[in-house]
Amino acid sequence: MKKFTIVILILIGIYLALPILATALYAFSTEWNKTILPEGLTFEWIRTLFQDARFIEAFGRSVLLSGGAVFISIMFIVPAIFVIVLYFPSLEKWFQASIVMVYAFPGIILSVGIIRFYSGTSLPMILAVMGVYVISVLPFMYQGTRNSLRNVQGRQLMDAAELLGASKMDAFRKVLLPSVYPGLFVSSLLSFSVLFGEFVLINLVVGSQFETVQIYLMTKLSTSGHIASAIVFVYIVLMGILTLVMATLTKKAKGMKRT
Amino acid sequence: MSNVVLKDVHKQYQDADVLTGIDMNIEDGEFVTLLGPSGCGKSTILRILSGLTDATGGNVTIDGKDMKKVPPKNRQVGMVFQSYALFPNMTVYENVSFGLKMRKQPANEVAEQVEKMINLVGLQEKKAAYPHELSGGQQQRVALARSLVVRPKVLLLDEPLSALDAQIRKHLQVELRTIQRELNMTMILVTHDQEEAMTVSDRIFVMNQGKIAQEGTPSEIYTQPRTEFVANFIGRYNVFSKEQLGKLIGKNTEVSADKYAIRPEAIHVQAQSSAFKLSAIAGDSIMNGNVIRTTFHADNQQFTMEQLHHQASVFEKGMEYQLFVEPKDVIALS
Repeated sequence: MKKFTIVILILIGIYLALPILATALYAFSTEWNKTILPEGLTFEWIRTLFQDARFIEAFGRSVLLSGGAVFISIMFIVPAIFVIVLYFPSLEKWFQASIVMVYAFPGIILSVGIIRFYSGTSLPMILAVMGVYVISVLPFMYQGTRNSLRNVQGRQLMDAAELLGASKMDAFRKVLLPSVYPGLFVSSLLSFSVLFGEFVLINLVVGSQFETVQIYLMTKLSTSGHIASAIVFVYIVLMGILTLVMATLTKKAKGMKRT
Repeated sequence: MSNVVLKDVHKQYQDADVLTGIDMNIEDGEFVTLLGPSGCGKSTILRILSGLTDATGGNVTIDGKDMKKVPPKNRQVGMVFQSYALFPNMTVYENVSFGLKMRKQPANEVAEQVEKMINLVGLQEKKAAYPHELSGGQQQRVALARSLVVRPKVLLLDEPLSALDAQIRKHLQVELRTIQRELNMTMILVTHDQEEAMTVSDRIFVMNQGKIAQEGTPSEIYTQPRTEFVANFIGRYNVFSKEQLGKLIGKNTEVSADKYAIRPEAIHVQAQSSAFKLSAIAGDSIMNGNVIRTTFHADNQQFTMEQLHHQASVFEKGMEYQLFVEPKDVIALS
């Protein structure tokens, strides 16, 4: 029975890993048309990719858009989560309702809604998309921040710091924020990686006017399979690094026992 | 050191009365305990005193100064929480020095006072350790040192020992009392453990359902409970109605009341002419450390008797015995 389980797990692992490995291999292959394995290996496609100014610009735009949305979320949404979780827990139900709404709207409906609502206004569509991104990462930011606050008993830490003579701002800056930092950082990275891979909204609302990595990938799919594979490989490596950082931080946060 | 006065303090959460008409006058350097079951409002009093919760009505003064508009950070009130609330991102030294740094004391003074306080609680070896590297007892000491180092006028202790095992708890009770006497600091402890309250307090306020049921010294509270609640909460009192007691002792007592309480250790086997006589059938005897507790039955009533182990008479289960209790040990309850 145990052997059977292992065999099944290996088969599932192969099934999941094979497309990724094949894509990665294709990104490094000279030709791969009539043979089982590539005819030769090369760094040409990766080099071409990083020499293409369009890719670098698209990469920069993706980082700017995703990073900007996460930054705005940290600046405005996270403080609101802190205040609500610590001092007005009865308002949490409204946050939870907002989270359900994020999942309830399919991308296509959201896109049409944004175009219809903002197209007649002077607001650039890219800012409208960024606004939607800020809201769409609410589930990750809310869960991560709230769990961290509960784990360290945030309200008691604030109370203890205040009774020792700290102002609310000092207590927040010197005690609470460093205590929940690993959880907050993981939520931010998770939000960033989700937004970095977003395609539907940005393609439908803004399109090629603001070419992100995902849109660039889309255009390259029809011109060069090797370059497209190289983009996917770079994307997977980036996400792999982010996941590794998140896993390390989560492990560190779990090691921090309640005091 | 400080004098703390609560006058007609009450607190409502939504429509529920959590505290009703709380009056307290706590003297300088006094160790006072608020004793009561969970949910009786004792921790709410601490939060009101510290300014972390506002009272719905009434007055709180510390050193004669009305605390209504004074924020927590300016009240000079320290607090040790049940979960200690140590800052997980700081070492023992940093935790203890936090309050002094917030008060912007010179670095050399901070170092001197922190060292002194860490020595007082016996954690010299653990200065560089983080809270999660400490045992429960050590964390409790850090929390205490952190609160004491800023020399608060009043130190509030919200069940600080309840998460510790019995042996460490008993040791720290004594240590807490020693430190309080050494610093002559006003301390208010919240606990639901009557033994802990008896061990450390100058005075005890027994609380029930948001009100003060009785206040007094540990001895007064233990020997003269005024209500059935206090008698049941403070010890293992036998509580009887007037009719039950009449049947048991065969006559009426001099003091008329609806309920009476008798301490289990006040019942004895030595015949005395002045004592009330009780005839009862022995039930099970249970040894509890140095005390043997025996259950007796008489006229469908049950009561317990406690004897010191080394002086104990042996009761055979099912046999009838003559027991005695002095009239002064039959306490009329209101």
